[in-house]
Amino acid sequence: MKQPRFALTRRKLVESKLFFPLVVLALILLFDLLFVRGFFSIQTRDGNLYGSLIDIVRNGSTVALLAIGMTLVIATGGVDLSVGAVMAIAASVAAVLMNPYVLARELPPNLMSLINDPTFTFQPLWIVIGVTLLVAIICGLWNGLLVAYVRIQPMVATLILMIAGRGIAQLITNGVRIQIFYERYSFIGQGWVVLPFSLYLVILVYALAWLLNRKTSIGLFIESVGINSRASFFSGIGEKRVKVLAYTFCGLCAGIAGLVASSNIMTSDAFNIGMTLELDAILAVVIGGTLMSGGRFSLLASIVGAWVIQAITQSMYAFGVPAFALQAIKGVVVILVILLYSEQVRGLLRRVSVQKEA
Amino acid sequence: MPGSDFVVEMQGIDKAFPGVQALSKVDFFLRHGEIHAIVGENGAGKSTLIKVLTGVERQDAGVIRLDGEEIAPRSPLHAQRLGISTVYQEINLCPNLTVAENILIGREPRRLGTVHWKAMNAQAKQMLVRLNIDIDVTQPLGSYSTAIQQMAAIARALEISSAKVLILDEPTSSLDAVETEQLFGVMRKLKSEGVAIVFITHFIDQVYRISDRITVLRNGSLVGTFETATIPRLELIAKMIGRILTELDEMSQIKLESSEQIHEEALLEAKGLGLTGGIEPMDLELHAGEVLGFAGLLGSGRTEVAHLLFGIEKPDSGMVTMDDRPVKRFSPLASICRGVALCPEDRKEAGVVDDLTVRENIILALQARRGWFRNLRTQQQYEIAEQYVKLLNIQTPSVDQPVRNLSGGNQQKVILARWLATNPRVLILDEPTRGIDVGAKAEIQKLVLSLAEEGKSCVFISSELEEVLRTSHRIVVLRDRKKVTEMSGEVDEHSIMESMAGGEA
Amino acid sequence: MRKIGSLLSRNQRFIPLAATALLAIIAYGVGAILYPGMRDLQVFLNIFRNNVYLLISAIGMTFVILTGGIDLSVSGVMALTAVASAALLREGWNGWAVILLMLAMGMALGATMGGFIAYLRVQPFIATLAGMWFARGMCFFISDDAIAIDARMWRILGQTRILIPGLADPHTQTGKFVSIFMVVSFLLLVVAIFLAHLTRFGRTVYAIGGNEGRNEQSARLMGLPVNKTKVLVYTLNGFCSALAGIALSVFVLSGHGLYANGTELEVIASVVMGGTALSGGVGYVFGTLFGVLILGITQTLIQFNGSLSSWWTRIVIGALTLMFIGVQSLLAARRRRRGGVKVTDAAARAATRKRRQVYGGIAVALVLAGLAIALIAKPPQGGLGGNAATPKSSACQLRLFRQELAAEAMQAGAVITYERNGGPDCIDEVYAIFPDGRITGDDGESKIEKQATAEEVELLLAGIDGLGWFTDEMYNTWHTPCGQCYGYYLTVSYRGTEKTVQGVDGGTDAPADYWQVVSLVKGLVPRFTATP
Repeated sequence: MKQPRFALTRRKLVESKLFFPLVVLALILLFDLLFVRGFFSIQTRDGNLYGSLIDIVRNGSTVALLAIGMTLVIATGGVDLSVGAVMAIAASVAAVLMNPYVLARELPPNLMSLINDPTFTFQPLWIVIGVTLLVAIICGLWNGLLVAYVRIQPMVATLILMIAGRGIAQLITNGVRIQIFYERYSFIGQGWVVLPFSLYLVILVYALAWLLNRKTSIGLFIESVGINSRASFFSGIGEKRVKVLAYTFCGLCAGIAGLVASSNIMTSDAFNIGMTLELDAILAVVIGGTLMSGGRFSLLASIVGAWVIQAITQSMYAFGVPAFALQAIKGVVVILVILLYSEQVRGLLRRVSVQKEA
Repeated sequence: MPGSDFVVEMQGIDKAFPGVQALSKVDFFLRHGEIHAIVGENGAGKSTLIKVLTGVERQDAGVIRLDGEEIAPRSPLHAQRLGISTVYQEINLCPNLTVAENILIGREPRRLGTVHWKAMNAQAKQMLVRLNIDIDVTQPLGSYSTAIQQMAAIARALEISSAKVLILDEPTSSLDAVETEQLFGVMRKLKSEGVAIVFITHFIDQVYRISDRITVLRNGSLVGTFETATIPRLELIAKMIGRILTELDEMSQIKLESSEQIHEEALLEAKGLGLTGGIEPMDLELHAGEVLGFAGLLGSGRTEVAHLLFGIEKPDSGMVTMDDRPVKRFSPLASICRGVALCPEDRKEAGVVDDLTVRENIILALQARRGWFRNLRTQQQYEIAEQYVKLLNIQTPSVDQPVRNLSGGNQQKVILARWLATNPRVLILDEPTRGIDVGAKAEIQKLVLSLAEEGKSCVFISSELEEVLRTSHRIVVLRDRKKVTEMSGEVDEHSIMESMAGGEA
Repeated sequence: MRKIGSLLSRNQRFIPLAATALLAIIAYGVGAILYPGMRDLQVFLNIFRNNVYLLISAIGMTFVILTGGIDLSVSGVMALTAVASAALLREGWNGWAVILLMLAMGMALGATMGGFIAYLRVQPFIATLAGMWFARGMCFFISDDAIAIDARMWRILGQTRILIPGLADPHTQTGKFVSIFMVVSFLLLVVAIFLAHLTRFGRTVYAIGGNEGRNEQSARLMGLPVNKTKVLVYTLNGFCSALAGIALSVFVLSGHGLYANGTELEVIASVVMGGTALSGGVGYVFGTLFGVLILGITQTLIQFNGSLSSWWTRIVIGALTLMFIGVQSLLAARRRRRGGVKVTDAAARAATRKRRQVYGGIAVALVLAGLAIALIAKPPQGGLGGNAATPKSSACQLRLFRQELAAEAMQAGAVITYERNGGPDCIDEVYAIFPDGRITGDDGESKIEKQATAEEVELLLAGIDGLGWFTDEMYNTWHTPCGQCYGYYLTVSYRGTEKTVQGVDGGTDAPADYWQVVSLVKGLVPRFTATP
């Protein structure tokens, strides 16, 4: 029996990776609708939209960016714990290139007076961004080489950069939390064009990743390597190169996230930027349905996963839950979600949906 | 029932898995203190029979008795407690623990609740001495050879079950001649102590050296149980691989016609191709338009040759040339680019990417050859996939089904399709008809011949000699990882079996 | 030569342990040569004293990692224990009761996570991650700020010096000493070694881990109680985490949810450096002792050097971990190749070559590590032994905010009070700016004063107002900062309105302008030290 190729059957919907995270997100928003006044209100100011919903998207953009890269890494059967540290390194590099306070001793005095000037930047913006992303790519490459060629377990290999990375970030700024004065830079994390600019960044990176995965065969190879690495080898797929690419892309995403984060606070905080965000990113990917053992993945579902996490945080804030309780609740929610995704529950749902079809 | 003749009786055992009848009305009787070999080619049902006996699977029908009493083992541990122990080929022990620990963990001698190492080491040493092994039991198990590890596994098995029955599943696969003799010495000793030993192996030589009786299985059915001393080697082989069809049929006709097409010059030549631990150096020639068959029992080196030709492993001796140019790069991708394809033997490990769809599995190798950026358009992918689904008659509701939902035979066809899609010049097929029903088997054999007709060079490897004979223009016989002989034209099946079996008939 | 070779190959499993021990000895030796201060036995003892919580936690973590698992929740449980103890003690609970309750709580948390991992098949990474969030979150349920511990028992536990007989003079109460928890940790070490090598539980732990996950299946087939053992292991680790939390609270005499941030990484690194493979199955509890020692020595060397900043510690630890893991991978790869393949003559020769390569690699790595340590330990420009005095303790004690000083100052007429707390040296500085230009500062040990002009103060106030201080866009935020970050309290009084806003370094939640205000204020106030 042949089904029309692109039929959107109910089964296909339920089985698609997007289903679960959207349901969870919908549940959270429903909760907000019922219990939080004004959560859904959207105001317009100067042509830009503001509101709690917008905040979810804006504040969740760093995790969303990380989650895009992390999805590819997890799909190959690995994990990248160093993304938070890479964010810090990126922030440090960017800050040093804009505000040479650290090198102050060598600069002529009249340059010093420009430092508090919002139009001053040591290097033009495009160099700042370019060099930062290059450094982030190198970090990702390092991880990829350790995992694919030296064959160190991914968790361990990326743990090393996770530990050393923050030290490197501090080294770059000589321990100083560098203040960024350059106005234009703040647009990355704080700018608005109807919607927050960081959302556009997320969309851009998603589009890039989508192109890479669906318009080339890279996505297919990543999935194949994650599902059955030996069969992929027999089929002629260069699994080493695929893995290196995944980790490098993840590093790039972390670099962009670092730019957004440091632009938000206009400083380079080598210790705090990205702290524990790698765990949020992994959680977002898991909520998005990608198995930690690797295989099929969905970038969109991971982004929704990131928004789910942010929605929980935002809802708690709006509901009046004091900040301190947030972490505990997050821990409980994580366990619930993970159990929901466990084999038992998934199998149950699969059987239920099959019965419905029959 | 007072003292039965047999320690184990299995009667009328049936066992079916989705899509395949693994065992059908199989009887198996094991006497006290005998060494009983079970032989059969791939898919014969040997491992299923043992799984039923040791509680890994439950039979659908049939009765198992131990010393006359009916038993229903629920798990390997339960079977152990009943007295039936198994030592597997993978030696399921912990290489990081010491030898003594591996033998005794879970039942260690204890003093005041703590592990009494001295007593444990002494006890373990004693148990190994019983097996004529004298080693330092305080070293980690992993630092010893597989042979010693096996002894430790045997010692544990005996210790736990005070075994009545010891099952050895392919114990000699990783052993050399000396170690094998050591193992046999242990087996004889145990036999003299009244332990019944089931010996599963594909080494016919060894069957004749050590066993008292032989049970032959084929395609899930019992062929018969024979006294080793009375059944000649040749007859045994014949029973294992089935009767040879000698009538001239459509296939032979095709073969005769197509043999005109065979090119003179070799397309791919291997001289002195060898790999330590794999195969001894041998010469091979592949010609376009020809089907070259490999005949040989399991373990004779068939798959190793295939792997070397495809570049899975790099040979450490010899040279390979293709189109008269030496082959420098040994990797699957390089082979695919050269036009060599391998449909591997182990479908689960090396073939099927089970979460991907049928379409994706089929175009996988083709896409790998094209690289990252020359993507096949989705339309093209569907066309290719559907083309092969039709050609090979793959049973699937649509090409968007994940391959894991297909039956074994259809999965095999998908893998075959993958390699056909790369349009290779040399196509190596290792057990391509495994798990496929009889009708489909014939289809595939015809397909192989027609591929040769188109000008490809095919290598056809199968455990079923019948198949190999029907499909091949020329046959290479392998035994004990060496090339024994080559035959072409009207092949005499007796001489082939003789070469495969070796030794005295 | 060949005898040594065969001796080594027979006791191969001790190589990682020996390597770590050797490295520790070399490192300390180099330090002792360069810095006379390090030759003082007390400095060596202090390494343990300052890292006792790390050692206790790492002992428990060793068992977890031996089974091939991992536990990220240790730092959370440590913090929770510290905060909960502080809170209970403040309510007047009996010290012993508190200790017992805390240990029980740690074990309960551990058992829960272990249950999820063993029976519900949740990946250890995720289950313990959730546990960490939950534990840290619970800290803040108890208290937002740090709680000081006043209880006599805690003070005794933390400050008692047990003089070492023979190296101390009891009459003058001086000499070499150890702390109570040092003794506790060593007792725990002995018990742990006993458990690991002399109980069925311990041997089962070893059986479960290793061999790339295949051991677990083999262990099940061998009839070992795999699930039960896993739960026990995580319970044991929960016990150790709780005990470590108590050790920490005793050392700093307070409890705060911000403590021990990132400690789980240090714990894991210690275990790995001690020779335990992350895949499990191999390693010794005794090795963990050396792992912790190396961490401590690294910190001490950096402190004594004085010219290298503390973040070098992280880089060095990262590099050391990489080196050790590299060696582990090599050894594991060798073991893999050994099993199962027939060893013929050619293969045997190749194996010997490989073996020599591995040993050569280890030797090179050790030498490199030694050089690296020597490099880091190079004397500062001021001559040898610049910082020969007792170094500041590496785990510095987070001090409490002193907002009462700020309140006093506001009452006395100050228009701005600014408090900065935390950072790598755990400072607490309170400044007050008065409308006449007078600026006072108090960092708990000394006071400082500066006279600015009234116009500058007026400009500052206008600037702060201009940045929206008194609007809704400026609000309080607080989140878990790192151990090296600063927390800020800033109170501004202008045109009749007074508003206090608090914030913590780094993070996307604080309003961006907050940092602009902080930097403006910082620009005006005088500095205590040269740190920016």
